[in-house]
Amino acid sequence: MSSQSASGSGKVAKSSSSKLSTAKTEIEFRVALIVLVMVALIPAIVSNPYWLGVLIVSMYFAILAGAWNLLAGYTGQFSLAPATFAMIGAYSTGLLGTYFGVPPLLGILAAILVAGLIGLVLGRIVLRLKGPYLALTTLSFAEILRLIAANSINITRGDLGLGVPGLFNSRIGWYYVFLGVLAVLLIALYALLRSKAGLFLQAIRDDEVAAARSGVDVVFWKTAAFALSAAASGFAGALYAHFAELVTPELGLIGQTGLIVSMTVIGGIGTLVGPIVGAFLVYVLSEWLRDVGGYQLVVFALLVIIFARFFRDGLWGIARFFMRRARST
Amino acid sequence: MSLLSVRGIVKRYGGLTAVDSVTFEVAPGELVGLIGPNGSGKTTLLNILSGHADPNAGEILLDGKSCHGLKPEQLAHRGVMRMFQLTRVFRRMNVVDNLLVAGRAQGLGAAAAAAQANALIEELRLGVVRDLDAGQLSGGQMKLLEFGVCFMVPPRIALLDEPFAAVHPTMKEIMGAFIRSRHESGQTFILVSHDMPVVVELCHRAICMNAGGVIADAPTRDVLSNTRVIEAYLGGHAA
Amino acid sequence: MNVALAVDLAVNGLITGLFYALMAIGLSLIFGILRIVNFAHGEFYMVGAYAYTLIALAVGLPVWISLPVAFLVGAAFGWTTERLLMRPLYAGYTSWGLMRDEYAVIVTFGLSLFLINLVDKVIGPYAYRGPTLVDVSRITLGPILISGHRLTAAIIAIVVIAITAALMKWSFWGKQIRAVAQNRLGASLAGIDTARASSIVFMLSGGLAAFAGALLSPVINASPDVGAFPAIKSYIIVVLGGMGSVPGSIIASLALGVIESFGAVYLSYDYRDAFGLGLLMLFLLFRPQGLFGEKGREV
Repeated sequence: MSSQSASGSGKVAKSSSSKLSTAKTEIEFRVALIVLVMVALIPAIVSNPYWLGVLIVSMYFAILAGAWNLLAGYTGQFSLAPATFAMIGAYSTGLLGTYFGVPPLLGILAAILVAGLIGLVLGRIVLRLKGPYLALTTLSFAEILRLIAANSINITRGDLGLGVPGLFNSRIGWYYVFLGVLAVLLIALYALLRSKAGLFLQAIRDDEVAAARSGVDVVFWKTAAFALSAAASGFAGALYAHFAELVTPELGLIGQTGLIVSMTVIGGIGTLVGPIVGAFLVYVLSEWLRDVGGYQLVVFALLVIIFARFFRDGLWGIARFFMRRARST
Repeated sequence: MSLLSVRGIVKRYGGLTAVDSVTFEVAPGELVGLIGPNGSGKTTLLNILSGHADPNAGEILLDGKSCHGLKPEQLAHRGVMRMFQLTRVFRRMNVVDNLLVAGRAQGLGAAAAAAQANALIEELRLGVVRDLDAGQLSGGQMKLLEFGVCFMVPPRIALLDEPFAAVHPTMKEIMGAFIRSRHESGQTFILVSHDMPVVVELCHRAICMNAGGVIADAPTRDVLSNTRVIEAYLGGHAA
Repeated sequence: MNVALAVDLAVNGLITGLFYALMAIGLSLIFGILRIVNFAHGEFYMVGAYAYTLIALAVGLPVWISLPVAFLVGAAFGWTTERLLMRPLYAGYTSWGLMRDEYAVIVTFGLSLFLINLVDKVIGPYAYRGPTLVDVSRITLGPILISGHRLTAAIIAIVVIAITAALMKWSFWGKQIRAVAQNRLGASLAGIDTARASSIVFMLSGGLAAFAGALLSPVINASPDVGAFPAIKSYIIVVLGGMGSVPGSIIASLALGVIESFGAVYLSYDYRDAFGLGLLMLFLLFRPQGLFGEKGREV
């Protein structure tokens, strides 16, 4: 599959589109589905509500990491505000429910729209910014919003937290709701990547000028990536709000963004399966080792540094390397 | 009617006038050479034509319609395709995908784009490397790829910025044959090059720039024997 | 407006600005020379606060020795960061290729998390109060009431900033660094050791930030995440003052100190930190080169 064909000009090439790059995405998609199937089967073995809760939060982070990966890994826009959009989603459904009596399902829908809209606007504003400028702008946006949420005590109750109605009482129910949403978003992302949108976003990531030259509407696609990423994050935040039945500004802490970035980088940035694997690994381990010694956050941060420095494609890249080695022997 | 009308284009960068009142017309099907010593403003002019820079004065008409303020992607949709002097390809995408981006962005459907990409890969003899990431190609192969990108959808006008620079003779031959065959089918080109033999061979007409202005615009042989042109290149009076 | 109050606010604002300047100068230089933002900058501040506090309290050295030692510790961290994590960027041996900025964001972000959590685990999450430089608690200067430590710290800060500015302007390495900031490739073609210049800049940056952390530790006690806020302030200042411009950073630092001082009293105490952040966003969008920044030129 991966070796170059020996034919030069003589033979007629096959008529379907490129074998290799969509093949990469296809493999990642299948492995990701397998991981999700495994996660679906876990409740058959594990019934401890604490651990189910840990896995639910892992899925929350998996969605956030996947959304950030779309923006940063596939489109090349390294925003430092992913947690902020989760917070926006959470507050949207929380405030609508508390002050306007909006039922949770509608609240979640509204959260997706609000987060997506704010993401659209932010994306439009930061269009011309790159690298450190983009990071700083999104970072300050994140901090401003968190400060506003924390200081607007009359409206949000600040750090005390805003009470939010739950959707249903069953932890298992929430488990499969989160899993279902994660799966749907994974499939949607896969479809997006296989379409021309996937080509355009990655082109923008690799070289914006060349993308424009080829006719890609850079403004539209960069903004769209921001909006979609924000909407998905808002969705996750709103779900979490009804799960935890509490919304606090802590959802938007820079540390949360740090977790999201770490999970994506360790798992494998720019891959379909990396954020999911990274999220589960980092969060489950950090909870598991919490009793043992508590150095897990130190280790994860160190891993981020090491992976960024030496293994850009993360754990998934390492796995692929060994798979290729195994196949060629 | 002209395909491309360039009228009184001026571009200043601070105190420097990079393009000084340039005016010329290009008719459909012409293969025009754009020559001149380094710093004469050729690349700046090309940047303006492809939407990467805005002129301080003057206008450009493509098929009679103004190109004022259009961005590169909009010009691409109008049929202006530009090859860069420093090769730009999508390094982390493979050769086929590089071509598909251009095809899909300019309106081709998935199947049509795939077919066209395959055809170009074959014509440009990139079949051996079709599945490699563009970043892994040799310099000359990258240029061939960028070349192909410009022709996924036959452009109204192709602006080639030194396509032959530092390229292996075999690939030069491939590009040359490609240009010749498209030209025979009526494709319009502006070709910037320092490779005089190639310019003489391919271009019936040459425009020579120096210090931002056009100093000659005539059939190629006449331009190359023009004393002002020779002086511009040698930097003094011709012997 | 009460004149005495205004003077007091202005002077206090300027003094706060001096400490901001210690943070911002180094960050500005790093951006000027490497075109990256160091997201672990706040942790150099934190390291300095801890170094000063622990050396003075646990080891028992006098404060006048602990202070320079804190500087050296920060400089050492800076040097190590550049050598291990940044050098590869310019030597070309990472797989990030053209995405240098993104690599720097992730790597320094990771470094920040690493240092915060390491200190949290190894030393503990509780705050440590650093010893004051001078034991006089209240000094009256005209209408202003100020603590002996704050006054002493301010004077030291002025001296250090002045020395740094002088070095940047007139010393051999200062000129080299400014040349690299303007045009890296051109500077190396002219024979300047750009790697060495980067090292020096990171050492200076780490040292100055650590120094600020040390000076402020009696007031802003050393804790694992103590550096987060100073860091955000310095990002704001560096953009406002122009990335790469030392005079710009100093002026913007003083200005921000004064703006926050007056803003907290006359506008809103709760949202006093949001002014700077809002200014940051506006500048990034409309004038990213800041008030005094230079736009670099390519070869």
